[in-house]
Amino acid sequence: MDKRFIQVGARSPLPDPAKKPRRSVGKPAAALAVLAVIAAGCLFCEAFIPKDPAYMDLYHASQPPSRAFWFGTDTMGRDIFSMIWHGGRVSLAIGLLSTAVSTGIAVLSGAASGLAPKWLDGLFMRAVEIFLSIPSLLLVVFLQAMLGKAGVLSLSLVIGATSWTSMSKVVRAEVRRLRGSEYVLASRCMGGGFFHILRRHLAPNFFPSIMFMVVMNVRSAIAAESTLSFMGIGLPLETISWGSMLALSEKALLSGAWWIILIPGAFLAVSLLCMTSAGNWLREGGRQDSSHL
Amino acid sequence: MNDILLDVQDLTHCFRLGRRTVLRAVDKVSFQLHRGEIFGLVGESGSGKSTIAKCVMSLLRPTAGKIRYLGVNICDPGQFRAHKKLLQTSRQMIFQDSASSLNPRMTVADIISEPMAIHRIRPPRGTHRDEAAFQLRCVGMDAAYLDKRPGELSGGQRQRVAIARALCMGPDLLAADEPVASLDVSIQAQIINLFKHLQAEHGFTFLFIAHDLAVVRYLCDRAGVMFQGRLVETAPTAELFRNPLHPYTKALLSAIPIPDPRRERARVLEPFDPDRFDREGVLAEAAPGHWVLKKEAP
Repeated sequence: MDKRFIQVGARSPLPDPAKKPRRSVGKPAAALAVLAVIAAGCLFCEAFIPKDPAYMDLYHASQPPSRAFWFGTDTMGRDIFSMIWHGGRVSLAIGLLSTAVSTGIAVLSGAASGLAPKWLDGLFMRAVEIFLSIPSLLLVVFLQAMLGKAGVLSLSLVIGATSWTSMSKVVRAEVRRLRGSEYVLASRCMGGGFFHILRRHLAPNFFPSIMFMVVMNVRSAIAAESTLSFMGIGLPLETISWGSMLALSEKALLSGAWWIILIPGAFLAVSLLCMTSAGNWLREGGRQDSSHL
Repeated sequence: MNDILLDVQDLTHCFRLGRRTVLRAVDKVSFQLHRGEIFGLVGESGSGKSTIAKCVMSLLRPTAGKIRYLGVNICDPGQFRAHKKLLQTSRQMIFQDSASSLNPRMTVADIISEPMAIHRIRPPRGTHRDEAAFQLRCVGMDAAYLDKRPGELSGGQRQRVAIARALCMGPDLLAADEPVASLDVSIQAQIINLFKHLQAEHGFTFLFIAHDLAVVRYLCDRAGVMFQGRLVETAPTAELFRNPLHPYTKALLSAIPIPDPRRERARVLEPFDPDRFDREGVLAEAAPGHWVLKKEAP
């Protein structure tokens, strides 16, 4: 090719300066470590739990923590230490599954609404607001009644289907901002369809701003599950989760068995706190802009 | 006529500003692009140049009028759908601000190969990455830039990447909406020379939108002058600059500074008075290939 058209100046880029590790400031190391320990413990609980979490040892019901039962036993004689790890699986699974459901709905609906013409967008947003104005507890009870007997899958579906609205609104606002940018126009010009533009252009740009909400969603889904189970409309007692363990606590409180309520509650609270601080850190990190020229 | 690539007839586009107010951005504009020519569209800001480009690229739907590309009426949704692939691959566009026309989160390699990825085209040089490297070299950049992101490039380099993205499909029609307006003058010269060279090499038809008359004079074969949504004059560039006929064109051309202080001082500016310029009438041929907006004979 003709030498005249080669750009003047640097022909090839200068070597990059040594890269500083990004996002290292303010990293909540302790929270992430605790979260990792809890998650790993739940995943690989078979390796170390001493007893079958579902076995009811009626001779040793409501035992305080001792050498045989590290965290004590509940009113039905199940070992709480084993139940914590085993039930953590279910709680985390519900948190992740329902977040996947709600994030999926939120991204698709938010992007569709953001890219839609003005009247359709307005109509959809009003519908979302109506949906938002119904108390979510009522919706959950109603949906759960329609789906029948509660299980891990149906519960996470129900929680996911009721918690996507606020995220959808954020996605829509971001898409509205992004859709006028010229790279989206250029992509449409080249023939990029809805899913192509969503995947290549919109999602990478709006994901940092919903990252925080996604993590918070895991948190609130776990909290929602335990609330529902505590009230007795969530998981049945034989499915062990942190929430269903707490469901026993009303009786435990009367009999002064503090370990039945305090230990699952502490695990729940610690994991929720760790997720909140991880979410906050992600939100701070997401603000970094990539351009520095 | 077989060599007409793009035929724009009475193109009108209105923007609704409010319930009652309508802005007529483009008003009954007709022009034709022949295969392999560089057509420059000049005019002040707000005269409707970019709107024409967007209509031609089907980014806006014209309010009235017809745009025929290779005989396909692209304003008609049915015909557009029938020839979708052809229209989307053989027309490409370059935007004014390269900083915003490239996704800041994609690498140069991904940006250049995006159209190939959309249309699932097997690139002639093996992988998408190799093709992107080749196209990058064609616009005078080293393949080492493939893994950079737009934020790490200079304005001129970003515009080169945008050009490489447009050219990797081998387009027949390239529309550039003020592609050099956001660059400084020395980089403008490089990019303009690059356009000239690439056009000679690939032979694509080039709709070049600018407000810089010197650039149009240097680059374009034919030029059209826009004024408040009307196309007031089109002619071969040399003819237009030698013999401007419409009063607006005369005023516009007389405003070009002359790089010679003595002659610059003696230069007579045509009085600029927007009310004095005719916006009504139809294009009439004043000389072969030279069309001017004229009031219809009473």
